[in-house]
Amino acid sequence: MQKHIIYILTIFCSISCTHPMDKTCINTPEGNMEYLWKTIDQKYCFHEEKGIDWQGVHDLYLPQIQSLDPKDYHGLFDLLAQMLDTLQDGHVNLYSDFDISSCTKWYEGYAKNFDWQIIQKQYLHDYRIAGSLYYNTIDEGRVGYIYYSSFSNGFNASNIYEVLKTFNNCNGIVLDVRNNGGGAMDNAYKLASTFIENDTIAGYWQHKTGPGHNDFSELEEMWIHADDMPVKWLKPVIILSNRNAFSATNFFISCMKNCAPNCIVLGDKSGGGGGMPMSYELPNGWMVRFSSIKMTDINKQSIEEGIDPDLNVQMLSTDCDDILDAAIEYINSKTIHKIKNYI
Amino acid sequence: MRRRKRHIKFITIFVVLITLLHSLPAAATVEHENILSINYGGLWQRDMYLSPLLYKGMEIGITNEWWQTFNRNSNWKHEGQIHLEFGWTYSEPHNNLIYSIGINSGWGAFYSWKWSEKGWEIILGPYLDLDFMPQMHGKEVNKPFSMDLSVNICAKTGVSYHFKGKKSSYRLRYLIQTNLIGTDYMQDYWQSYYELTEGIVGNIRCSGPWNHRTLKHELTIDIQCPHSTWRLGIAHQYMEYGTHDMWFTREQVEAIIGTSFRYKTTPNKPLVLE
Repeated sequence: MQKHIIYILTIFCSISCTHPMDKTCINTPEGNMEYLWKTIDQKYCFHEEKGIDWQGVHDLYLPQIQSLDPKDYHGLFDLLAQMLDTLQDGHVNLYSDFDISSCTKWYEGYAKNFDWQIIQKQYLHDYRIAGSLYYNTIDEGRVGYIYYSSFSNGFNASNIYEVLKTFNNCNGIVLDVRNNGGGAMDNAYKLASTFIENDTIAGYWQHKTGPGHNDFSELEEMWIHADDMPVKWLKPVIILSNRNAFSATNFFISCMKNCAPNCIVLGDKSGGGGGMPMSYELPNGWMVRFSSIKMTDINKQSIEEGIDPDLNVQMLSTDCDDILDAAIEYINSKTIHKIKNYI
Repeated sequence: MRRRKRHIKFITIFVVLITLLHSLPAAATVEHENILSINYGGLWQRDMYLSPLLYKGMEIGITNEWWQTFNRNSNWKHEGQIHLEFGWTYSEPHNNLIYSIGINSGWGAFYSWKWSEKGWEIILGPYLDLDFMPQMHGKEVNKPFSMDLSVNICAKTGVSYHFKGKKSSYRLRYLIQTNLIGTDYMQDYWQSYYELTEGIVGNIRCSGPWNHRTLKHELTIDIQCPHSTWRLGIAHQYMEYGTHDMWFTREQVEAIIGTSFRYKTTPNKPLVLE
């Protein structure tokens, strides 16, 4: 009997030990650089649109990486971050335990066009917060003002209902999404749904289907569903935008500009970020985030570089918000329908 | 196309086999065995969709397994199983974590050869195995996740040996299972995780030993005490599947502790505990 038990145990152990889990990836500075370069080469979606010579980037950075001390991981991080900077994309980040890289050039050179202190002191004075929406009536109750600082923060239909009930006697709403760096697309759809009556195509997306820079699927429709938000506002709405309105906010501005019937966008060009990001891990455990799916507006035009406002207004004063003043003036002087005709 | 035909052929054989089983002569008594066990052990996984790194960690699971002779012929028995598990694995630099929650279920029919005097039994038969396991990267960078989903027809065989000790009787059992043919859900390397649930149909592929290899085997000992039966054991599972772009591997070695409950049913007679 003992012989049989030993025999069975031997079979079990020998089968258990024959496994091919020993494939390793190369965790050296060069190995990590090659892995990162290849991941971006095959999965990043804006190479062609931005005219990036990614092979040239490889040839430029490889000798620098090869000359690095293998223990100098700060140096490696900085070089890889510089390499990623050539993509000029706010959705591109390198994450390590000691630092996070981000590209900032896309909004440098643009005016700030937003000061929350001025809005608080000069316009709102006091405000309420419904979910993550800061709101109050301004201009002696004629205009409703909402500030939404991040699409990562949620709200529900009840929040929207309470906000709109407060604005019942207003001529229109100013929806301020300046300095909103984006967040969840679901919140963008939900908020846009407040301002439409019927299901509407919001834009298109296309994902990568292969390693080539031009390997993309057909354009697929992205819909805003009217049912997503049971509470509706169909009177005039003005969206305030600046260059720091990025990613999901950029998409929201595109939807509102093209789909909402009584809406205009006022302020500065939005920040862009028209690619859906995804992330991937490097052999040394760092993570890279990058744009992997292209999004377009309803005219099939890329929104990666940002959305131009209907009316470009810059904030030139230091004690008042010229963009918000312009919005108040437009709401009080004409209907949005007339404004749209005027534009 | 050829693969699809082979696929249909195997499913047909499986269905015919089950139909034949039911047409065999009837036996009066049906033997049942129900086992509830907890599994705990090491987990190694490489999910190329989430990371190129090998992740190592632990998993804990609970299994309910039941065996029953067919009511028409006691040489044939069938087994059903449901297994739930939760795994957590760390990358080699120990700075990232992947969580997984898995459901495995299966059903198989086996022919049994018994040598009652010597205590030996050998079983052999087909087994339908269903695996579902979403996995999520713990790093909050756009919440990357992937999904394993497969349905496979497997071959399963086992040998068991009953013997008596001084105070109790024992059953030593070894079971081994490998996949033959089935279907896999496999996300495309280029596909973002935002689209995983949108392209499900396009991501289902025919699978077999050329692109999906699974080996599950376990060694258990059932200790029959006066009022209860306890199970101790060890199990090992290795699975790898993928395409030329990506490979997924998952390996588990786990200890088993459980309790077994045996009884016999005969038509028009009360249930008899063993």
